[in-house]
Formats: sequence, structure tokens, C-alpha cells
Amino acid sequence: MEPRPPASAPDAGSHVRIDAFGLSDVGKMRKENEDQFLVASLHKSMQVHHTSLDVFTAIADSQQAGAYLLVVADGVGGLGGGRSASSAAVQALASHIASAVRVYFNRDTDVEDAFLAELERGVDLSHQRIREQLGQSASRGPATTLTVVVVAWPRTYFVHVGDSRAYLFRNGALRQLTRDQTVAEELVDQGVMTEEQATRSGLKNVLTSALGGSEIKPSLGLVDLARGDALLLCTDGLTKHVTDETITAELGRGEGAEATCRRLVDDALAGGGSDNVSVIVARAVP
Amino acid sequence: MVQKKVCMVGAPATGKTSLVQRFVKSIFSERYHSTVGVRIERKEVDAAGTPVNLVLWDIEGQERFQSVQTSYLRGAGGLIFVVDGTRGETLEQLASMREQARGAVGDVPCAVALNKADLASSWALAPEQEAALGADFPHVLKTSAKTGAGVEAMFGWLAAAMLKAPAGA
Repeated sequence: MEPRPPASAPDAGSHVRIDAFGLSDVGKMRKENEDQFLVASLHKSMQVHHTSLDVFTAIADSQQAGAYLLVVADGVGGLGGGRSASSAAVQALASHIASAVRVYFNRDTDVEDAFLAELERGVDLSHQRIREQLGQSASRGPATTLTVVVVAWPRTYFVHVGDSRAYLFRNGALRQLTRDQTVAEELVDQGVMTEEQATRSGLKNVLTSALGGSEIKPSLGLVDLARGDALLLCTDGLTKHVTDETITAELGRGEGAEATCRRLVDDALAGGGSDNVSVIVARAVP
Repeated sequence: MVQKKVCMVGAPATGKTSLVQRFVKSIFSERYHSTVGVRIERKEVDAAGTPVNLVLWDIEGQERFQSVQTSYLRGAGGLIFVVDGTRGETLEQLASMREQARGAVGDVPCAVALNKADLASSWALAPEQEAALGADFPHVLKTSAKTGAGVEAMFGWLAAAMLKAPAGA
């Protein structure tokens, strides 16, 4: 699904422009796109710039963004359940953040702690929303990954559940901010299997933590950005087909966020497009 | 409930993340993941009858001659400096890291974890080096994220020390 224009979001913070864009594609094999993404700027309230969500209206507007909210979600579950789960998760998360937006603009330490707690609470509320809307039964019911980044320049907070990833691209090097919450990762961590064995086992697709699932284990972190840095959020439809080396090369071209998103999605499709693919790129323009 | 921010500081691959994972989740992995930025975990502990919610900031290790990112330390109530006992060079940065941390947060309670104590045959710190640390830091102990030795004791000591510290320290 194509995002809405404009391609570039307005400035965040003094003298730093954040160029952010999001894009999603159904891929070549699936009939439905169960991914969702959101690129929003946070003012004293939230203004949505691009999203795949069917219904999500701008809440308000103001002249200058104080922060950015970037979200990708990858729903799982047939009969439309995956799409509903990812949609419910992103909407619940964004609504929570919009209601708590004042927290972002005060960098006092106590407030930062409260902000981190709000991020986790937003994830928990999203989990509850899915279970309320789509049923609590099911170990195999609708569920979704969720990867959330809030850029409050220069501090950048992230929380994630599942295997959708966030990366930091800095000085030509790509580093993964998140760790996949999959059975394969856990078994490799425990020394039960090698990474090669894990890749062959198919357990890379089995989540140990998912919103709407039986367990969520939100992982929380932060990093201070520098001018020239780029952030990439993506669902596994990208990383199944595009290597870290290729992602590094694409980000290293230094093109705008929209062009980079389009290249990455094209790479995923050229590599097979076996899954829905969603990417968000946000660059701190030097 | 009382909440205290604790920052884990040290050179790369000293075991900061492993100590936190052992303390919070009782797990250990030989697999090395380099932390990017900060990973945050929480754990509630009992410090002499007072429940304390520790917010653990596991900070990316800094290479030699690289300054500690002091913006991450702001608001910390306590610090744990982590040294890899099998790599003597990770001790060399300690004094400079402490000075930078002191500049950012003042004289908050701090401990030194001489980590990887399970690797006794590879231990690279001389007894006199360890003794000298004891003179400079209020609490120094050997820890092993792998076996869990010293881990609970280290965080427990720091929680109690933070409660006793004067407000604003």
C-alpha cells in the first residue's frame, strides 16, 4: 500500500531535519497485506503523515514537531485476523502516545522514566486491545509484532515485541537495535543450536513474544542520534530477502528516505517477495 | 515505591549485559551481542525491608580513549563499573570512566564488578590491583554472570547504598 504524501516530515528539534518515510507492499506471494506502519510527528498532539491504516485521522496540527513516532507491525493469523491485529496494535499504541504526548517534551529525568513506562504501557494496551477485539483464546489466534521508535532529538527510544526490526545506520555501519524474539534466537542464545542450524530449522518464524499471543516480552532501549544517522524499521518481509550488506549499501547511498524505502522494497520483491514487506526510513539530515 | 536508576558502565564485552540478564532473568548466554545505545530492564529488590524498583540502564561499552556518553548517566542513583577480570586492559579505563561519571552525576554510590570470575585460569588481575581498587571504590567484588556468583550481592549492596545516600547524591 502506498503511503500518503508528503514524503518528508517537518523539522524536529532545533536545526535538525528528520526526513522520514514509510512504505508497505503485499509482496508476490500473499493475497493480503497484514503489515501496518505509521510515520507521525508529535506536536502538542500528533499529526499523521503516512500510514497504511485505513482509518486514522490527524488529531491536530501545529507548526513544529517535537518528536517523531515510527511504527511497524506484522500481523499473523488467517481470515483477516493478522491485518486486524496489526491495525489494532498500531492504532492503540498511537492513540496512547498521542494522549501522553506532553511527556515527550520535557527532558527532566523523572519525566524520562515516566516516558519509558508510558511506552511499555502503550505496548501492553495494544496487546489488550487485540485480545479484546479479536478474542483471547487462541494460542494460534490473530497476533502481531510491534516495533516502535520515538525520536525526540537526539534521544531515540525504542520498544519492540516479535521479530520486526529496528536498525541504526551510522558512519557507514548498520547495527541492529532490536533482537528477534523467536524460538530460533532463544535456542541459539542457549547454545542449543548454531545460527546455521537455526536458519535451516524454520524456527526463525516462530515468535516467542507477540501482541495478542499468549506472552509478550517488550524489550526497551534508547540511543542518542547524531546528524547523518539513519533509522530503519522493517518487517521480516525485508530481511528474509535482503542481506544486511545490501541494506547497508542502500542506506549508504545517502538518498532521501522515500527513495531509500522504494529501493529496499524493490530489493525484497526482486529477492522473491515471499511475504508482506514494510519499511520506514528516517534520516537525521546533516 | 522507591525507584532508582542504575547505570552499567564499562569497556565492550566485559559482561554488562550478561550481568543484567543474570540478575533480572536468571539466564546466561555465551553468545555475544554488542549493545547499541542502552537497553533497559527493571527489577524490584528488597533492600533491608524497603522495596526498591531498580531501573537498569545497560549502556553500550566504550572503546579505549572514547568518552562515556554522559547523557545516558543523567539521573542515575547508582553506578556499576564492570571490568573483565580476564582482560587487564579493561581495568585501565576505570579511573577515567569514574571521573567522567562523577562529572555527570556527582558522587553517587558505585560498585566495581570484577566479572568473569568463573574463568579462574585466565584471571589477569593481580591481587595488588584488586586491593588498590578496594581503596578507591566503596564496594568491589568478583562476579560471574555465568554462575551467578556475586551478582545478587552486588545489586543488593547498591540498592541499599542508594537508599542510604543523601537525596540528590
